[in-house]
Amino acid sequence: MTPLAPSMQLVPDEQDSETYYLNMGPQHPSTHGVLRLRLHLEGERILGVEPVIGYGHRAHEKMAENRDYLQFLPNTSRIDYLSGMIYNLGYCQAIEKAMQIEVPERAEYIRIICGEMNRISSHLLWFGTYLLDLGGFTPFLYAFDDREKILDILDSVTGSRLTYSYGRFGGVCMDVDDTFLRAVADFCDYFAKRIEEYHKLVTHNVIFRHRTKGVGVMGADLELDYAVTGPCLRAAGVARDVRKDEPYGIYERFDFDVVTAEGGDCLARHMVRMGEMEQSLKIIGQAVRNIPDGPVMAAKVPKRIRPPEGEHYFACESGRGHFGMYFRSDGTDVPVRMKLRTPSFVHVSTMPVVLPGTMLADTVAILGSIDIVIPEIDR
Amino acid sequence: MIDLVLDGVTGSTEIEFDERGLHHRHEAKAADMPAVAAAFRTARFCLEHITCLDLRQVEEVGAFRVDYQFNRIGNPLDRHVVQAIVTDAATSITAVYPGADWYEREVFDMHGVHVDGHPNLKRLLMPEDYTGHPLCKDFLDEDPERHQLSGVVIEPEEAAGGTADA
Repeated sequence: MTPLAPSMQLVPDEQDSETYYLNMGPQHPSTHGVLRLRLHLEGERILGVEPVIGYGHRAHEKMAENRDYLQFLPNTSRIDYLSGMIYNLGYCQAIEKAMQIEVPERAEYIRIICGEMNRISSHLLWFGTYLLDLGGFTPFLYAFDDREKILDILDSVTGSRLTYSYGRFGGVCMDVDDTFLRAVADFCDYFAKRIEEYHKLVTHNVIFRHRTKGVGVMGADLELDYAVTGPCLRAAGVARDVRKDEPYGIYERFDFDVVTAEGGDCLARHMVRMGEMEQSLKIIGQAVRNIPDGPVMAAKVPKRIRPPEGEHYFACESGRGHFGMYFRSDGTDVPVRMKLRTPSFVHVSTMPVVLPGTMLADTVAILGSIDIVIPEIDR
Repeated sequence: MIDLVLDGVTGSTEIEFDERGLHHRHEAKAADMPAVAAAFRTARFCLEHITCLDLRQVEEVGAFRVDYQFNRIGNPLDRHVVQAIVTDAATSITAVYPGADWYEREVFDMHGVHVDGHPNLKRLLMPEDYTGHPLCKDFLDEDPERHQLSGVVIEPEEAAGGTADA
């Protein structure tokens, strides 16, 4: 059992003149938003850390209690703006599961394609900005160029670049055409070659490896202690993925691997995300080949969305890990409680055990490698 | 696989996973939660989340309820939710699951439910000098400036009377 990190009570000691406290953030470029880390330092070595969150708190859970289920739909894309599509579709699936709404085949395939495209764009943004954090500017330009291609494709069908609100209870709001499917297929061919280039440019780069190998180890034991999920856990060699463990939508029909790596360090997390982009391409390829014709909305969707009374839970795999929605319905139009279990929240809460003992300069590398999205932590 | 032996719980029911996304529901006393959590940990369950529900207006409950959700590590999936009705205070399980730290602070911050035995119980998301607990059903924001922004006018005595201060 891991003892509670001493950093949980960071109180300056008057007698101790050898150590000092340093605020990293809330306005620090490498925290990717307004996150504050209160660091207790001895020279350059970190003795303790207390993450201070809440600067971007928007009360999504309170908003959910004050509007009906459909009105909360646009909020879901804004909780994690990088996995907007996954959250949005996940929320629709949660309500559909509770209401037992059947979704047409074509809509299920469109959801897979759009969700996985969103996952690639999320990982690409991570890849670009992470290298930027580490001081490499060029990969950022490559990654954002490719990400822009995905955003254009998704824009052509959803009408927005980030906050999609594309799903509806019972399907998706707009059908895709052949131009879209061709653009997706072309992108897959193009991007498969680009990943090889990324490996040449970054993965085999000696400076990058020195900065990430063996740095910021998040072991497999953090799963039991903190319920760490997603690429952070898979980088420690644990093959856990909501898409495999409790397949939602039609994920069980697709042939893909859960990418894992050994070591749990920053390099392993990089390798997992690179591998996941390849697997997403594989899933998209299968979906584009097999997508059937037909309607994209269920014929019979109840006018009033009133899930059965009691608690419901639905989990999906976002770009960062296990995203869960735990909600209680009392049979009315408005949920009694909507708890959003977000992966970044968990990952940042492990920082008091991950960071101590490392050097201050590595904080940027470690914090970047867990791929946090601040609005998702603060909600 | 280690079998799960739960002693401190009452009223266990099985739930239809395909409809609810959960397998089992249990009820427990708030004070028994560390022992219940330890049983889950021994059987290698991870703590997925802790949340609080303001059910003071619900007749059968009439109090806050803290829900703990556990999931078995590895396959097959086995998801349990333990519901503890809080009449006085919740009991911290941070000694069993360190990951409970922030969830319990969030429960305290958002619902004003005190968590006994928590090593560092303070607000998590709201500023430290904030008054009131936003996720209470009877919560009214006390800050007059924010009411001006939203266009809602609340008389001072009404705001004072409606503040949830648990």
